[in-house]
Amino acid sequence: MKKLFTICVLTLGLATGVVRGETVLIQGGKVHTLTEKGSFDAADILVRDGRIVAVGLSLDEDADRVIDARGKVVTPGVIAPVSELGLVEIGAASATNDYAVNGASIGSAFDPLPAYNPKSTLIPFNRAGGVTRALVFPGISLWGGDSDGLQRVFAGRGFAIKLNGAFDSVVKRNLAQKAYLGEAGGRLAGGSRASAYAKIETALFEAREYRDNRAAIRRGDWRELNHSIDDLEALQGVLSGAEPLLVTVNRASDILWAIELADEYNIKLVIAGAAEGWMVAEQLAAAEVPVIIDAINNLPISFSTLGARLDNAALLAKAGVKVAISGPEYAATHNLYLARQSAGNAVAYGLPYEEGLRSISANVAEIFGLESGTLDPGAVADIVVWSGDPLEVTSYAEEVLIDGVPQSLVTRSTRLRDRYLKPQQGHQVGYKH
Amino acid sequence: MQLYSRAAGCCIAALICAAVLLPGCGGGKQAEGHRSTDFARQNAFPSTYSVKQSRPVLIEGATVLTGTGERLDNTDLLLEDGKIARIGDNLEAPKDALVVKGAGKWVTPGIIDAHSHLGDYPAPEIESTQDGNEMTAPNTAEVWAEHSVWTQDPQFALALAGGVTTLQILPGSANLFGGRGVTLKNVPGRSVQEMKFPGAPYGLKMACGENPKRVYGSKGSAPSTRMGNVAGYRKAWIEATAYKKKWENYWENGGDMPERDLQLETLAGVLSGEILVHNHCYRGEEMAIMMDIAEEFDFQISAFHHAVEAYKVADLLAERGVCAAMWADWWGFKHEAFDMTEANIAIVDQAGACAMIHSDSAIGIQHLNEEVAKAMTAGQRAGFDIQPQDAVAWMTLNPAKALGIDDQTGSLEKGKMADVVVWSGNPFSVYSQAEKVFIDGELMYDRADRARQPRSDFELGILDAEGERL
Repeated sequence: MKKLFTICVLTLGLATGVVRGETVLIQGGKVHTLTEKGSFDAADILVRDGRIVAVGLSLDEDADRVIDARGKVVTPGVIAPVSELGLVEIGAASATNDYAVNGASIGSAFDPLPAYNPKSTLIPFNRAGGVTRALVFPGISLWGGDSDGLQRVFAGRGFAIKLNGAFDSVVKRNLAQKAYLGEAGGRLAGGSRASAYAKIETALFEAREYRDNRAAIRRGDWRELNHSIDDLEALQGVLSGAEPLLVTVNRASDILWAIELADEYNIKLVIAGAAEGWMVAEQLAAAEVPVIIDAINNLPISFSTLGARLDNAALLAKAGVKVAISGPEYAATHNLYLARQSAGNAVAYGLPYEEGLRSISANVAEIFGLESGTLDPGAVADIVVWSGDPLEVTSYAEEVLIDGVPQSLVTRSTRLRDRYLKPQQGHQVGYKH
Repeated sequence: MQLYSRAAGCCIAALICAAVLLPGCGGGKQAEGHRSTDFARQNAFPSTYSVKQSRPVLIEGATVLTGTGERLDNTDLLLEDGKIARIGDNLEAPKDALVVKGAGKWVTPGIIDAHSHLGDYPAPEIESTQDGNEMTAPNTAEVWAEHSVWTQDPQFALALAGGVTTLQILPGSANLFGGRGVTLKNVPGRSVQEMKFPGAPYGLKMACGENPKRVYGSKGSAPSTRMGNVAGYRKAWIEATAYKKKWENYWENGGDMPERDLQLETLAGVLSGEILVHNHCYRGEEMAIMMDIAEEFDFQISAFHHAVEAYKVADLLAERGVCAAMWADWWGFKHEAFDMTEANIAIVDQAGACAMIHSDSAIGIQHLNEEVAKAMTAGQRAGFDIQPQDAVAWMTLNPAKALGIDDQTGSLEKGKMADVVVWSGNPFSVYSQAEKVFIDGELMYDRADRARQPRSDFELGILDAEGERL
């Protein structure tokens, strides 16, 4: 998965802050490359122009900036496989929410990109937790609205960002289409999960019909279709295999139906949820369907997740399924970086350590075709220097590089901490900045 | 102990023996010397909890975090008759003792979660199981969380596997007065009475801020503002004060017995010091207001829960002897949870107040050791010297104080309940697991022995008719 094409930031040009020719040398850390080269107990990493140019023992290089990583652990930055970063500030403040569409949804054509706010406070906070890139997806509120909308089982399109907070921080758009099957799909589709299945199938069927008869349909010289042209256009990437279809589903039998649907339409499927994925791990592996799981959620919280367990990741990986781990559902966007803790728990329950690291970085990049997630010459220099094992709850990020640029790790949380370290009576607090 | 009243014409003599003196964290406002009352109706649904005492347990050569600030390396711990019998070196195993090899293991007191809704919001979560919030009036002090507990909630056993031995089940936070909480031992039970921690004081759930004003304001009724919330509390305390006086007057002077009022009985129980206030309250300003209300009506707040801004008023909490129960890092789900700092618990602790972790979550409750580890690390990064032997109190002795049971459990001290967890390693590591969990000296969970892992009724045959859920 090493793609050495020239930097093509699709939206607004080069990343902010990369000074041409600038070099950074990260010295002497324990390096997990997450490539076939494996790990080094002490290695150097040389970065130039935002890319890794060398990983090796004692690189002899005069760098513009040297980071002493001796006694530290160095990994690729964490990549969040699903999030609402930049689309939400405060959960219960509706004016700050742009991710969930209530009522009549646009459907598969919905692209939340214009709502993305790179100045959200969630971005520096998660960056300080070691997250350097994230997928951003719309969602659909299960409450309210018209459940009859044919397109309501589709949330819309996702994009990818880097967490440097810059206005040009969108790295790739139209990355995947998100849809719901299973229990959530059933609720969106008016009561039955079979109805959700039928709605997705109808949309794919019509998208194919549209692809094959575009001119006639656009002329109006065709039977009346159930979907708008915008929606059918939006599904073309899914049909062609350029964009995966991210399907949220948990029950084992629902996962099998999703695999069947993907097979029928020859589309790239990614399962999000997969609480009972371990029960159909062989089928997922055979169909080469990756999964994004909430690895710390072992609750039989619904009748669709009765098989939820902490070794889900371990069992899936053992069967050969590519596993990505998301932030915990209860804090899936505000505390995305806690995917590290979830991965640590997955390792405690049998996931091989290196797979644990890959599940929050390299695997995510591979699933969505992002050029980061490894420490390999040519790779984007999204690098974190950790105080210790990044999956350990007592470790933290000491240096975060995005595109080779060291990032600020100050957050509202650290500002508030410093202001109130010794809380006391008086007005002085208002003057502590 | 049957107290004065279920039958009419109760006898005054019975009142005198009802001594339920249960100070809150940092010392409650106990009406010393005055005749005890039973507004709490402590025994209306009496605990039938008991554990079979099979045999003594000797844990040999482990790293022991006592919960009282000590770390004892290579130390033995002897549990006998459900109590902690001895802590020391080279203790001899009594005959028939279960001997646990402690090399490489760490031992802590059982984890105590002061804020849980297990059983009231059980799994699976379906329409008919949402029993945690009586969202029908802003004051429902008359409801008791124990009456909603579905004892077959499979989440209890998951919490046990995370080392939780005691937990308080609270009503939800929709109301100014949500009702009574109940403290349970984390054991399987057919009835909630079989799980009730014997003699533990009841809690009263109160809620500040956004929830009550949103729930009722959106219905066009009071409260719809924070000031409306405060008016609601004060009105209720005025009524409760009068109610309490009426009964006290009756007990002292006789006459016609006043009419019982379930709602006011609970509030009067707070005023008499029998029931401990557990106050959902995020913002620093609101905590300061609530402590003044407590002053005005002469009661003690035991703990603020979800106290995201406790760090801003940590000095006031220390001064008033009020605990704060906090998360390690949750934030942003609402405005009052926006000013989060991961150093919250550490700052409150270092200011001399009683600080603790709490879960409010069926996932979080399984990982409270990890949550404390994160909070401890944040404290160290803020420059405080906080070690595992200090931080362990955030999940053991301090919640025990908030629940008024710290004289019985929450630390490894001779004579206390043998509520003990043996960890595979340092509990403040993501890779460590609770291997053995003892409650009152009984091995209630053993990671190595499926026969000692409880399964609720719900789990039998649910995923595989002949097998286990997991």
